[in-house]
Order: sequence, then C-alpha cells, then structure tokens
Amino acid sequence: MIENFLQALVAGIGVGALYGLMCVGLALIFSVMRIVNFAQGELLVAGMYASLFLVGPIGIGNRLGVYVGPVVAALLGGVIVFFLGMALYEFLLKYISGMRATHMEGDGHNPQLSLTLGLSLILSNGALLVFGSTPQSLQTPMSSTAWEVHPFPGTDIVIFLNEARMVGAVVAILVAIATSVFIANARQGKILRAAADNPVAATYMGISVDGAYRLAFGLGAAVTGVAGGLVAIYLPFQPYTGVEFVMVMYAGVVLGGMGSVAGAFLGGLVIGLVQQLSTLVLPQQLQNTAVFVIFLLVILLRPQGLFGKTVDRV
Amino acid sequence: MNILDFTRRSAAISIAAIAYAFTAGPSHAAPQPVKLAVIVPLSGPWARNGELHLKGAQLAVEQINAAGGIKALGGAMIELVVGDAGDSTEKAKNAAQRLVSANPDLTGGTGAFVSSFTLAVTEITERASIPWLTLSYSDQILNRGFKYVFMTSPAASKQAADALPVIFNVAKSVGAPAPKTIGIIMDNTASPASFTKPMREGGFEKSGLKLVVDEVFTPPLSDATSLVQKVRTARPDMLLVLTTNVPDTKLVLEKINEMGMGKGRLPILTNGGHMGAPELVKATGKDMLEGVMVAIANWGGKGQEELIKAFQTKTNEPWMTQDSISTYGDIQLFKDAIEKAGSADSKKVAEALRSMQETSGAAKYFPGTLKFDATGARSGAQLVILQWQNGEPKPVYPASLATSTAVWPKR
Repeated sequence: MIENFLQALVAGIGVGALYGLMCVGLALIFSVMRIVNFAQGELLVAGMYASLFLVGPIGIGNRLGVYVGPVVAALLGGVIVFFLGMALYEFLLKYISGMRATHMEGDGHNPQLSLTLGLSLILSNGALLVFGSTPQSLQTPMSSTAWEVHPFPGTDIVIFLNEARMVGAVVAILVAIATSVFIANARQGKILRAAADNPVAATYMGISVDGAYRLAFGLGAAVTGVAGGLVAIYLPFQPYTGVEFVMVMYAGVVLGGMGSVAGAFLGGLVIGLVQQLSTLVLPQQLQNTAVFVIFLLVILLRPQGLFGKTVDRV
Repeated sequence: MNILDFTRRSAAISIAAIAYAFTAGPSHAAPQPVKLAVIVPLSGPWARNGELHLKGAQLAVEQINAAGGIKALGGAMIELVVGDAGDSTEKAKNAAQRLVSANPDLTGGTGAFVSSFTLAVTEITERASIPWLTLSYSDQILNRGFKYVFMTSPAASKQAADALPVIFNVAKSVGAPAPKTIGIIMDNTASPASFTKPMREGGFEKSGLKLVVDEVFTPPLSDATSLVQKVRTARPDMLLVLTTNVPDTKLVLEKINEMGMGKGRLPILTNGGHMGAPELVKATGKDMLEGVMVAIANWGGKGQEELIKAFQTKTNEPWMTQDSISTYGDIQLFKDAIEKAGSADSKKVAEALRSMQETSGAAKYFPGTLKFDATGARSGAQLVILQWQNGEPKPVYPASLATSTAVWPKR
C-alpha cells in the first residue's frame, strides 16, 4: 500500500511538473496580453518536432549522447519556438492585441479567439502535411529505465524513479523558476509587468508595449515548447498530440489562479498529482474525471484559483 | 457547321471505325481485361494500412499478368481499380458508389480494412452482386444475410474464443507449464472490449485462469506507472496488453521493462495489426518488444519466402504484414475463382468462391482451410500468433506458417 502510494506520488510529480511548465507558458501569454491562446497545444508540438529535428538531422543526439542530447535539444527547441512565437505575434497577433484592441468591442476577444483557434488548425494540419501522421519519437534509454530507491531499508519496498520523467521534472522546475525570476527582477521582466498592468500608462512611460507583447508571446511559446521537448523524451507524438494537453493547460492555469506564473506551475502540478493519486482509490478510467471534479470544486469554493489572490496580473 | 461538313466528318469517322474493326477485330484482340477493385483508406489516420493493402494487391496483379494472365479467359490481364475510403464511413460508401457506377463490368473487389468502412462499402457492392473479400473481422459484417461478402479472417468472436486455447498450445509446445493467473491492461475502446468480452464471460474460467489484475484506462495515457505497479504487485502468470495506438503501447511496455518484468520475464499477449507494424519498433526500440506475442488474422510466413522476398524488393517494406498478404491472397483467390468459373461475370465468380474447398493455389495465403460457409465466413480460419524476436515479428503459430519457435518467457 505504502509502495503504491509512493509510486503514484512520484509519477504524479513527474507528470505534474511538465504540466506545470506547459501552464506557465500559457499563463505568461494570458497575464501579459490578456489573450487566451488556443494554439498553445500546437506550440507544445512545435517544441517536440524542434527537439526531434535537433537530435536527429542537426546531430545533437550524436554529439551529446542519448542522455544529455534530448535534454539539451528540448532547451534549444524552446529557442526555436521562441522565434516562432515572435513571428506569429509580428505577422498576426499584433493586429488584434495591445493598443489596437483597446478600441475593439470586448477588448478584441472575439478576433483573438478566432485567430488563435484558426492558427491552431492551420499549425496542426500544416504539420500533418509536412511530417505525416506516423508517430515520431526520440530514442533514449531514459524512458524505459529507472533509478530504484529503497526508502525503508530492511523492507522490500522499491520505488522506481523513471529517468526521463525525473530529469524532465527537474528541468521543468528549473525553467519555471528561471522564468519567474526573470519576470520579477530583470529589466525586460519589469517592462512585461508594466505593459501588463496598464498598457496606456506604460506607453506614456516610453515602454514599447508592442515589443513587450512580442517578447511575452515568444517567451510563453518558448516555455511551453521546452515542456514539449521534455515530453517528447518519453512519449511518441504526431501533429495532433497537442490536443491531449490543451485541456490540462487551461485547467492548470485556472486552478492555479489566472495571471500568476507560480500559480500556473502549481496548478499543473496539482493536476498531475490528482491524476496519478486518484488511481489508488478510483478506477483508472476515472483519472481525468477526478481531475475535473477537483477543478470544479476549486472553482466553486475559490473562484480566484488555489494560488491567485484576486484577479492579479503577473 | 454546315451539313456538308457534318457528312464529311461522319464519313471519316465511319471509315476509321471500319478500318479499326478490320485491323483490331476480335480474332486479333487481346481479351478484355478483368477488373478487380481495391477500396481502402489512402488518406486520413488509416492511410498507412491502406498503403500496405494496396502494395499487396499490386504485387499480385503484377505477378499474375507477367505469368500470362487468366488462362481460362485466353490470357486476360487483371486491371486494378482503386478507391480511397478516406477517414469516414460516408467517404468509404461514396468511393464504392463511384467505383461501381464507373465500372459496370467489375468482377470483384477487396477492402476496406476498418470494419465500419467495410460495412458501408459492402452495402453498395452487395446490391450490384459483386463478390467482396475482406480482412475486416467485425461479426456484424456476417450477420446481415449478405450473399456476396466473404470474410477471409477469423471473425472477432472466433479470434477472442480461440486466443486463449491457442496461446496455451504455444506454451505447451515449448514445454512451459500452463498459466494459472492472468492480468489485463486495456483501453476502453471497442476493439479491446469486444476481444475480452468472451474471455470475461466464462472464457477465463474455462481455461482454468484466474483474473488477478483488470485495469481499463481511457486513452490517451499520461503515465503507465499505476497500471503496471498493480501488475507488479499481483504478478500474474501472463498479461494481456490491449492498447490501440503506438504512444500508449510504448508507455505500457516501457514501464513493464522499467519495473523489471520486460525482455521476456512476463509473457505478454497483444492483438491487432498495429502491434506488428514496422513503425512500432521504431517508436519503442526492439528491446521493449522482445518476447511480446501478437494475436493476428494473417501474416507472411513459412512457404511464402519467395513471395516475401519479391514483396521486400518491390516495396522496401521490412516484412509482409497482415494487410499486405491478405490483399495479395485476395487477388490470387479471385484469379483461382475466375479460372474455375471460366468467366469474369461477377455472379459466376461469387458462385465459384462459394463452392471452393481448396488446399492449393491461393489457399496457402490464408491460415487454416479455405472454405466459406453460407454467411461468407471462412469456417476453418485460423488465428496466427506472432512473437517479436530480435526486432522482428515472427509467426510462431500455427506450425504450418511458423518461421520461428515461440520463446515462452521464464519468470
């Protein structure tokens, strides 16, 4: 029983940390730009393919080996997705957000919804054309090997720490902390917060709101892209894989408290934990039902989210 | 155009027609080609299966035509007409409708892989009295009282009923003790549900098996830890892993390996075409699959070495899957039936198929005996068991097809 509990706990942390990182990307975009990005799942998949491209054709896998290679590729894949995000903002999102949206009905939420939803369809179907529907995967022994831990010497209780999940979780936590520190302390981070707080006032203070939004979208895309690269270490993927994670991302962001980066990470982590720990008492089929029951309860009892104060930006 | 022009043109056409009739008259003409249809998904999520089907059929047509065509019809060539069943029953039905109306002289056809597509396609072909061979194995295909549908694979209910006794035979053949306990990890989609239904409803008891782990999940899986942890605690003598897509399969198999039950320590039985696909080994790596057994309707094996070699050369595929050998066999079967009927008339060919009880010719491409009953089921159809050995799915049962001996994993 203890073994089952510890095993589920470890699995929950492994899954949850990556969910958390995906949520951070979505929350960053939402908190700065007030855009609910429906194409976030596709940015996750972009991170997966970027990682695959870096490991294979670019040769990071050969140079750094099957252990370090995929992790470095996930981080560098984030850089590629960063530029993809900036480009998407520059060519599309710019026209329906920021100062341009202030005069639109409902702050431009309708065009934002249509655009990001359309973008999601175009990106996934475009990827289908280019990459095909055959599932791809990064070949690494990490996904099928585990560190065996004996938490209670003298008993036969063994906890398996899957290498891919644990490495993924550690990297995810580090990236989330780095993002948080960047926003809190760096000059660019302060600009992001200013643009988020009051775009008009920020403009009067000489801040380029446009530039801040571009950076926010790029950064939000990159963080989710890194999460994608880390997921790709253990899960085969194809162009539609993003859909499976999108619901988790929205739920995690709302659960943690809209607009809070740390809250979003913890929201994702809670979802991972509930998903895995629920299997101890409920049938496996009800895993996601458990997640959404908890989600609804939180919304009912604490509408601002678990870690949100009130509606607060960044 | 004035009347003079018209007359001149008509005259010219008539002269040309007469000239053609003299030069290419019936005494010199090659016999009319025999048209056979293949309707499979060539776009959408099942496009890869459709591609494998088509490759098998094309090879058969090429070989038959190169060997002089159909002798009973004076060396008539076979012409393949292809329809794309797409990704929905609606598209499959439309493809069949278009194909049948564009080719009123169609002799027969094969397809459409996905059972629901086959149900739709055969609604059209049945009305046109076109004999239709299919690998799809839903029982529903047989239960409609149709006269022109022939199922070459064992029906789903038969596969499920046969799987356990067959796997016991495999264990016995290598001298391993019969398993006493069993576990199930499956997703809650239609195929695993129907495969395990007869087992749950008395099949396990009849085989003397006790179900000790029964884990059903909703795909896609985020993590297989809790599923496999339960298997690790209960330690069944064998495990059924009934997943329906590559990512879930990878997560489960890797977790089994990680928890020290992989690489042949726990006997694992799976089912379905995707478990023998070349792309699976690319996604999971060959170590994860080592020893895993797959219950399947058909496979290229012993006695078909030449055919498999020709297939590999033509297509660059590493082996001949259930999809390719079935359509290859279907075209060969049509050839045999046309030779027997001495006609390419669809009704006569259907009659010939119904009266078949062969042991040679196309019979060797279908495990078991080749004889269709009144419902169109191949009554003697036998289940094939593959086992992944060194990165390749090798048939280990029945003995007539086996290219390798089963390795019954030791605990």
